[in-house]
Amino acid sequence: MCLTQHFSTYFVQGLANGFLYALIALGYTLVYGVLQLINFAHSEVFMLGGFGSYFVLQHAIHGQPHGFMSVLLVLAGLLGGALAGGLAAFVLERVAYRPLRRRNAPKLAYLISAIGASFFLLTMAGKEFGRQQASIKHPYTNGTVFTFFGAQVQTDYVVVAVTGLIMLVFLDRLVAKTRLGQGIRAVAQDADTAGLMGVDIDRVIVLTFVIGGVLGGAAGFLFGLQNGVFYGMGTVPGIKAFTAAVLGGIGNVRGAVLGGLLLGIVESLSISCINTSWTDVVAFVILVLVLLVKPTGILGESLGRSA
Amino acid sequence: MQTGRTIRLVVPLAAAALAAAACGSSSSGGNGSNSGGSTPTFTIAYQGPLSGGNQQLGLNMSFAVKLAVNQANAGTTFGKLPFKLAFAQEDDQGTDTAAPAAVAKVLQIQNLIAVVGPAFSGATAASEPTYSKAGVATVSPSATNPTLATSGWNNFFRVVADDNAQGPADALYMGKTEGLKKAYVIDDASSYGAGLAKAFLGAASSNGLTVVKHDTAPASSQCVQGSTGNVQQYGPLAQKVKASGADSVFYAGYYCDFALLAKQLRSAGFTGQMVSDDGSNDAHYVSQAGTSVANGTLLSCACQETITSAGFTAFAPAFKALAGFPSGTYSAEAYDAANSIIDVMKEKGASVTKADVISGLHATGFSYQGISKDVKFAANGNYAGSAVYMYKVVKGVIKEIGLIS
Repeated sequence: MCLTQHFSTYFVQGLANGFLYALIALGYTLVYGVLQLINFAHSEVFMLGGFGSYFVLQHAIHGQPHGFMSVLLVLAGLLGGALAGGLAAFVLERVAYRPLRRRNAPKLAYLISAIGASFFLLTMAGKEFGRQQASIKHPYTNGTVFTFFGAQVQTDYVVVAVTGLIMLVFLDRLVAKTRLGQGIRAVAQDADTAGLMGVDIDRVIVLTFVIGGVLGGAAGFLFGLQNGVFYGMGTVPGIKAFTAAVLGGIGNVRGAVLGGLLLGIVESLSISCINTSWTDVVAFVILVLVLLVKPTGILGESLGRSA
Repeated sequence: MQTGRTIRLVVPLAAAALAAAACGSSSSGGNGSNSGGSTPTFTIAYQGPLSGGNQQLGLNMSFAVKLAVNQANAGTTFGKLPFKLAFAQEDDQGTDTAAPAAVAKVLQIQNLIAVVGPAFSGATAASEPTYSKAGVATVSPSATNPTLATSGWNNFFRVVADDNAQGPADALYMGKTEGLKKAYVIDDASSYGAGLAKAFLGAASSNGLTVVKHDTAPASSQCVQGSTGNVQQYGPLAQKVKASGADSVFYAGYYCDFALLAKQLRSAGFTGQMVSDDGSNDAHYVSQAGTSVANGTLLSCACQETITSAGFTAFAPAFKALAGFPSGTYSAEAYDAANSIIDVMKEKGASVTKADVISGLHATGFSYQGISKDVKFAANGNYAGSAVYMYKVVKGVIKEIGLIS
């Protein structure tokens, strides 16, 4: 009964949240695909993306923009977030991962390095940007754009869905069609052989990090538009996105997208039925159930086969 | 890649810089008990957060106590006193973990007479067993957890109303004054929020208020570093509130999450009354939610911010001159707490002891006309009297409506 009432409204909200999860989840999944390691600092890349767009829009927006200017400013914010995220991921790979890779360090060392980097970025952001939540200046006036089966679809959701969709399709094509995509898939399948075949492994890995960072940073912007930016903002979305990646099949690009959307929708619908504090229980019960039936996630892992 | 090999661990160590704990500044009085010849010196210490995220609250209070001591020494507030006063402060970071060390330092002060503080409820709970054993009166300007007064500490006093006073006062105001009928209650799962919501729920029906639903939405990691709540919950939650047909929302929690919820409520098309507590009674609520969303929100507080008493008009500029910033939340309460202690001391004269201060504050006839309120204590150390105020956001500014209970 709770599900049928206002179903479309909760569905639309869940979908918007799901796109954000999907964008972040791709960062985890891409890096896992090529390195078989969980980049625990990705939640902080997401956070830095949020702050990147915050500073760009802080300087770019004067007064209340509308019309074509709004579109330009959304793009500017997106670019700021993506650049900050990409840069953070690039530096992260150079400082926290590459030295370990050079020395053939065990996987456990990567894990600790990632956690250390995560704490470092978190604390530094708190120190540099302040420990108060800050609102991003809005490039447009939020309002109802259209109704979808009775659900009012807000500008916020449209922006998230449209940019999210474009980026996801773009990434899917990039991995499937381009030379870099071939390189990523080759390294994911067998790094040593790929190296022997002339694939520049270092380059592929750093670009994979940067792509994940760009998507995560853009998600930081979209997330920040609705909720503001805060130095601790990455923690919970990071865990949720990681869950989404596992749900869909970690290492699998389409799996991450599917897992993200599914998680967002399930969470939203669960809130309509039960106490809000039980959302996580529902989400994780579903995760466990899926993994019981399909231990590698809905679409199975492996970036190599994602095309 | 090769397994079974001795591992050279290349661990990039995040250098854990151990913050030296010894940094709280100590007694600034310095002159021992017999420095003034015949006039003895007594130290009033302040204990509260003087570092960390809540430092500002601590500074609001400690400068007020210092001002009270300075003015008493100068004879402006109590006339000529038969003793001199000194001021000391100790940092407990507002936490129960750092509080015991701060208490130990305070108790080392030779001529200690009484303490203003501890500021936060958790820190107070951790401090009182020791203070109680040492027989030192503590007057807190801001610790509102109800159980503090019922733990059997004879030396515990506070000049604010506790959370049990605020919840019912909110219910009364919403039901009787505003004439609201159906409330949707949301708490943030913190001990403060859950306790306040419980107190509110207990008093709702008797004030003609039907609670449509009580929901718990844990404070989000978007607002409190390290907390587990997901900020994405507020969109669906706002839909749920709207669908419930409630004409009002009571949120028990802090301003940051409340601002996020409020934004989602308005964007979901909820047009009812939004009400929250002293945790949300902060200008940041308005700036983070946006003026158009925040306007009309009711915010209660066991504190009085726009104080109009004659005493306050003299206090405000003196505070600013001493501290370098204007007085803020709980400054007036801290000033009153310190002056209540000095008032008792004045009565007992130069031979006043720590025990005299406790018994003096407990005395049935005790009453001190402070700048925030007329300070009186119940037998358990609670502030005796009603002191919950309602505020409303009007054109982006939090304006006091008045005393509601």
